[in-house]
Amino acid sequence: MARKKNQSKSNKVRHLITKLNPKSPVSEQYRTVRTNLQFAQVDDNLQSMIVTSSGPGEGKSMTTANLAVVYAQQGKKILLIDADLRKPTVHYTFRLDNLRGLSNILVGENSLQETANRSDVDNLDVISCGPIPPNPSELLGSQKMQTLLKEATMSYDLVIFDTPPVLAVTDAQILADMVDGSLLVIRSNFTEIEEATKAKEALEPAHAKLLGTVLNDREKKASNYYYYYGAN
Amino acid sequence: MEETISLKEIVEVIKKRLLLIVAFVLGAALLAAVVSYFILTPTYESSSQFIVNQNQPEEAMEYDLNDSMSNVEIINTYNVIIGSPAILDEVIAELGLTETVPELGDKLNVSSEEDSQVVTVTATDENPETAVEIANTTVEIFQNEIPDIMNVDNVSILSEAELGPDPSPVAPNPVLNIAIAIVLGGMIGVGLAFLLEYLDNTITTEDDIEKQLELTVLGAISHINDSEVRSDHFTFQSDQSKKGRYDGTQKESI
Repeated sequence: MARKKNQSKSNKVRHLITKLNPKSPVSEQYRTVRTNLQFAQVDDNLQSMIVTSSGPGEGKSMTTANLAVVYAQQGKKILLIDADLRKPTVHYTFRLDNLRGLSNILVGENSLQETANRSDVDNLDVISCGPIPPNPSELLGSQKMQTLLKEATMSYDLVIFDTPPVLAVTDAQILADMVDGSLLVIRSNFTEIEEATKAKEALEPAHAKLLGTVLNDREKKASNYYYYYGAN
Repeated sequence: MEETISLKEIVEVIKKRLLLIVAFVLGAALLAAVVSYFILTPTYESSSQFIVNQNQPEEAMEYDLNDSMSNVEIINTYNVIIGSPAILDEVIAELGLTETVPELGDKLNVSSEEDSQVVTVTATDENPETAVEIANTTVEIFQNEIPDIMNVDNVSILSEAELGPDPSPVAPNPVLNIAIAIVLGGMIGVGLAFLLEYLDNTITTEDDIEKQLELTVLGAISHINDSEVRSDHFTFQSDQSKKGRYDGTQKESI
């Protein structure tokens, strides 16, 4: 029951804190993740990554969107793709319409340039999900997807995918195989150790370079020190 | 996997579930108070004392030693005799009580006063007057019957049970009951807190991820309060609606 409550709460609030309040400690925390991601990938250039979690409601989409924003604030050209073709949310976060999106590209109706929306954050383009297709896993595993990824990495510094949960569907595993790295979102006081372990094991055989994890929704008390250093 | 529990962790767990523990303590105290004041019928106690002087001059030397040595045995013997139907039947008959012999036996307690030969008979009853009557009658009948049973004839009553002007019940003792309940409630609360902590297998801190999953933590995002976003929230929304991109109905459909 407690879970349900948490989940509905997480869906209600969809504000991009990094955009609205770039100086807030939370935005700073996202920047820390960005920095650590850059350190995590020393040898290869990280050009594409997925953000996923073990189960639903752990804050994948918010993490993805905020990470995309802080990357974009760094001056890099970022493309955020909503690859959650089952329960898309990116268009809510960025207040976009969802008439054309990833699914249109994958079935060959539109090109990347046509579907990429310029967001109100500089350097950040967003591709929403598009109409929900009946066969998301097949579409994501298709040759078209590979081509799209290649095309996207050529014109953008970093392509970030928002994906469905690992344990629910196979989509994230398929994508993890294609991209340079994957990021696992873990929600504090919500994700069970067993589930997170399963998610980790599910991502490993897919040659997913698991870059690391982001602990989401951490209690504030434990990270107080963010709050007096240069806040406001 | 090593399992070490540090003092800090214990304090942390207790702090986390302090509300639960306090609730248990208060709940137990309240329950004990209700039970002691409203449910349990108060019982009263009254005691009568007698002394048995075994007057047997011929074997006095031997028995003197034995008497003082086996005080406990003698008291125990009296205890059994007082609790036996031989005495209690008559007590019931004389007082016209409704109790059976074992029931009456439960109400009586025989003890000795600090290693002496003074025997105290304590009667407990829901009615203070009945307690006095039971204590006195029992001792009287014991005094009458003991010469036949044990061949001792020198039972003298030291003090009779008396009904005080304002008898106070001996049981239940609300203060003691509540104190016990508080301690028990606290123990159960703390126990439950640890049980919940043990059963809780969710990830809470960065340490959990690093220890249990052996994955790198790239960062931790604090819980975002509504107020934190709201500071700029209104300007943002009006800005958006001007552009005409944001459709309020879309958000509803999440």
